[in-house]
Amino acid sequence: MAYDSDLSFNYFGPTKIVFGANAARDVDIEMGTLGGTRAVVVTDQGIIKAGLVDGITACLGGRCAGVFSDVPQDTGVEVVNAGAEFARKNGADIVVSVGGGSVIDTAKGMCILLTEGGTLRDFNGVQLLSRPQTPHMVIPTTAGTGSEVTNAAVIMDKEMGQKRLLVENFNVPRMAILDPKMTEKLPPLLTASTGMDAMTHAVEAVHSIPHEPLTDGLALHAIRLLYKYLPVCVENGSDLHARGQVQIAATMAGWAFGNAMVGIVHAMAHSIGAVAHVPHGIANGILLPDCMEFNLEDAADGYAMVAEALGVREKGMGDSDAAQAAIRAMREFTRKIGHPQKLSEMGVGGKDIEKAADMSLSDGSIVNNPRIVMDSAEVLEIFRKNM
Amino acid sequence: MPIKAMTQEWMDAYKAAIQADPEYKGLAKDWEGSVSLVVNPDPAKNVPEPIYLFMDYWHGDVGDFVVCDKEKADSAKFVMTGDYARWKQVAYKELDATKALLQGKLKMKGDLPYVVRNIKTVNKVIDILGRVDTLWPDDDHK
Repeated sequence: MAYDSDLSFNYFGPTKIVFGANAARDVDIEMGTLGGTRAVVVTDQGIIKAGLVDGITACLGGRCAGVFSDVPQDTGVEVVNAGAEFARKNGADIVVSVGGGSVIDTAKGMCILLTEGGTLRDFNGVQLLSRPQTPHMVIPTTAGTGSEVTNAAVIMDKEMGQKRLLVENFNVPRMAILDPKMTEKLPPLLTASTGMDAMTHAVEAVHSIPHEPLTDGLALHAIRLLYKYLPVCVENGSDLHARGQVQIAATMAGWAFGNAMVGIVHAMAHSIGAVAHVPHGIANGILLPDCMEFNLEDAADGYAMVAEALGVREKGMGDSDAAQAAIRAMREFTRKIGHPQKLSEMGVGGKDIEKAADMSLSDGSIVNNPRIVMDSAEVLEIFRKNM
Repeated sequence: MPIKAMTQEWMDAYKAAIQADPEYKGLAKDWEGSVSLVVNPDPAKNVPEPIYLFMDYWHGDVGDFVVCDKEKADSAKFVMTGDYARWKQVAYKELDATKALLQGKLKMKGDLPYVVRNIKTVNKVIDILGRVDTLWPDDDHK
């Protein structure tokens, strides 16, 4: 792929990565490198029940300011406000999130309130902050969201009836500890769907309008790692080597899409998630191949690179043929890892997709899609193919 | 004859250009609400003080287009803030406004999904801005 001669971009990825089996045990030492003295641990009840928090709090010892575990699957403004209040009362000066996307996003919101005061409703906008926020360390327990390295958080505001998107460069987590042991107990379906979330981040980073050489490099290697190691993780969750490779891939994909952004797949997944509560990773995994098909003419060169990363570009293939090979391989891949194939399997109905198609046009991701989407009928057609 | 940027005369010319555009009214039929642009000072580029610009858009019509004070600017439905050089880049379409927001080159107080839903309107007013024959503060030496 050639880049335009007037190529111009900003790449922003300030998060320190600490990787290794049992690396989470270094949480207390690493916290000190960020200047933290008292950490509030943010997590959810499922993570506590899985026994993933006890080791963290034990390592923190007297530096643990408390555990805030009231985080639901889709976090909300009230949850963030309550978490910040809990952290403030307990004198926390650093936030350690242990969990998946909802937990990490809750912690991101808390960091803002701990620094700026007020409640989350005071922050309606984009890039409003003008100073570094309370330090945040992330210990992911899934491998998919990439939220550990991005500037964005999605928080539901029930009062307003919509999700708030926080985008703040001053609130990117300072550190992520990627410990394969923390994802070891993820069941196969969750492993597959969170892995497809990462795969979608990577593919969308490649086809998005603002993609550039750094994000392409990260995304394409993430695709290689996911294609090779995600099936291994689904087959044998206790393979820590494979788990680690998938964690690294998810973080690389996070850096890629955090800079290059995402497109129509995410616009549609966010919308069907809001309307019919389809888990984000599953929606992404189901919709990805048909969205690639939709973008084919406008993103063939990008998908040809994806085909190379997947190892399905044969000698002599032009970009268009290679792109189609990539789409076929992606469909086969979702079947191989036992990923759901249709939205109807997730209880989605005809009215749901009509509403979601309309909502998709308001999603911030849609503006970065390589093929300009002008009409909700185009989106509805993709939804229908996946029913 | 170019008009000095970010003056009332320039705002009047911008408003007139929007009103004269044959496509604007139809594109902006769903847009409701005012937009303020806050230009951060840059003394090295002859912008010694912050500049506040208030523009009122309503369903394809345009109302007040004024150079104003901070209080009025803050009252707008959307308040977009950026360095002078960034705004100039937006005007010349060297910088995409949506991309600039996500990269932190511009800040916006207001509802992002609303802006995205009306992105064609946003792009249109930026297109029209580029058509106003403008003398920028740091062009004065020419």
